[in-house]
Amino acid sequence: MTPLVRLQGVSKFYPRVHHPRERLRAFVSLMTGKKSLEGAEVLSDINLEVTRGQSFGIIGENGAGKSTLLKILTGVISPSRGTVEVNARIAALLELGAGFQPEFSGIDNVRMKAALLGMTKSQLDQHLDQILAFADIGDYVHEPVKHYSSGMVVRLGFAVVAASDPELLITDEVLAVGDESFQKKCIRWIESFLERGNTLLMVSHSMYIVQKLCRQALWLHDGRSRELGDVFPVTQSYLAYHEERSAAERLQRRTQRGDSGLYRVTDFSLPGGQGQGDRNISYGQDLDAELVLESPDGLAPVALFGIMRADGTPVYGVSSDYDGIEAEKIDNRHFRFRICFERLLLLPGSYSIRGHAMDPQGIRLCDTAELRFTVAGESRELGILRLPHSWNKDA
Amino acid sequence: MKLFTDSVFRQLVSRAIRADYLENVTGFAWLILQPLVLLAVYAFVFSTIFKARIPDAGPGGFVPYLAVAFWPWTAFSEAVLRSANSVSTNAALIGKVAFPSEMLPLSTVTATFLMNMLGYLAVLLVLDLLMGAQIHWLGLLASLPVLFLMYLFASGLALFVSALQVFIKDVSQILPPLMTFWFFTTPILYSSSILPERFATVMKFNPMSWFVERLRDFLLLGNYELGYRDLLVPLLTLLVLVAAFKFFRRFSAHFEDFF
Repeated sequence: MTPLVRLQGVSKFYPRVHHPRERLRAFVSLMTGKKSLEGAEVLSDINLEVTRGQSFGIIGENGAGKSTLLKILTGVISPSRGTVEVNARIAALLELGAGFQPEFSGIDNVRMKAALLGMTKSQLDQHLDQILAFADIGDYVHEPVKHYSSGMVVRLGFAVVAASDPELLITDEVLAVGDESFQKKCIRWIESFLERGNTLLMVSHSMYIVQKLCRQALWLHDGRSRELGDVFPVTQSYLAYHEERSAAERLQRRTQRGDSGLYRVTDFSLPGGQGQGDRNISYGQDLDAELVLESPDGLAPVALFGIMRADGTPVYGVSSDYDGIEAEKIDNRHFRFRICFERLLLLPGSYSIRGHAMDPQGIRLCDTAELRFTVAGESRELGILRLPHSWNKDA
Repeated sequence: MKLFTDSVFRQLVSRAIRADYLENVTGFAWLILQPLVLLAVYAFVFSTIFKARIPDAGPGGFVPYLAVAFWPWTAFSEAVLRSANSVSTNAALIGKVAFPSEMLPLSTVTATFLMNMLGYLAVLLVLDLLMGAQIHWLGLLASLPVLFLMYLFASGLALFVSALQVFIKDVSQILPPLMTFWFFTTPILYSSSILPERFATVMKFNPMSWFVERLRDFLLLGNYELGYRDLLVPLLTLLVLVAAFKFFRRFSAHFEDFF
């Protein structure tokens, strides 16, 4: 089957054109067919293939090149390098209002948008009532679009797109401005659109919406494709990336503590992993941790374990003296603690575990070691961990 | 020709007409009134104050001689000037929707010509009925291809300047004085027969002088004789149009980089 969309080695380069002289230079290099040197490459070497019936989420930070990629897909801009092949009737909603002109009334803009989407006049007349009903903005359709709220603009834009019966829908972060009930309406429409065997490419910052509507995801990072594949692993590593970034910022703010060094962590490990990398467990598996503490005076120190999400949100902590656990003595100065978190209920994502050394009275925190681990799996559940539950249970 | 049946193009033309001509309070009436008021002003200034005389002006004297050439010129110059910004003012549209952007200058030119031709008809009627110009109405039929070629010529220039304006913003500043210069080097206010020999030769290379002179021949004098220039200028017009299309298409892919 031929893919609906095929991008091969697509790069987009924007010449610097702020200054008139730069514009002229860029124009001259265009005329002579040379590539100008100064500028910014916002997309580099993107390869993407979308087949009929797929639903692709494009995620990434601000400025990662998501919108540029969509513009290339819709043919609004041409790539600097690489080839773009599109074999489908596309409807696109890029940014707010997608080509609405503020001076003209809503109905005028609907006519224009419909014509741009390739609808004939009779097709539009047929669908006009349906469009107005979907947009549901009442008599505002006769007012100039400049008097609209941003939500109303999106309502109208989405209504026309929905009526144009596309094969491939491309949307930028547009649902975000609609209110709750309109968002739901759009999501319902997109779901039925996908059920009819159509194809979706969307940009969103809401991982909830991406996971709900998309089966595949592409993570763009600094204009490059960082991860491409099923929606769950890609969104999870994207979220983990963000969590780690905010955790790193927090860590920098915090002053180094526990440097008194009386009781120290000499070894902290998560047995069962392969090699030095992060420990990877799947949902519901046991997590073992082993902590070796050093005590200068031969008294057994207290061990404290804490699990937190990668962004630092604490999940659970427990110490050896609360549970009345004795350390295994290795020699006069070294003590080992082993803990097993059985059938871990943490939801898929990235986490870290800390092992702390405390004084024998369990009052003062002396040293800390941290390891990361990932819980793999697919889940649409929300939050940090699964609470055991049952539905519709008879009392 | 597919262009004229395209619904996006029709929308753009109707928008341009409404935005530029019909959104005023006086609306459509003003469209007819404005050229007539202007005609009255010219009649007063040139016939009464300057007492302008043109040797081969025809029965109506100077005012019809001027008016027959002046309105097509206005359509032409307005069309080129308006369309110069048509691409860059629609940057938002081009950046969000994929559509052939040559429609923007072409729709501006079309709207301007449509509106000005209505005014032209009104002016011709008034000239004939009130000012004794004896318009050759058969000549109007002969003028249609001339006006259409003028429209094509304006379209070619519009494509060229609107694309250039995206890259070099000075274009819209340079253009008005250039058009004024062109106006005075075209025999609109005067006849090329009163020019010294060497200027008259140079003037032959100005395609606009062919347009206005043929219009006068057809409408005022009923002179339908054809010469070699009647082949040359249409050919030149088509050449300009084709070259401008090529230029526009070559650079339209890069518009978005320069907004």
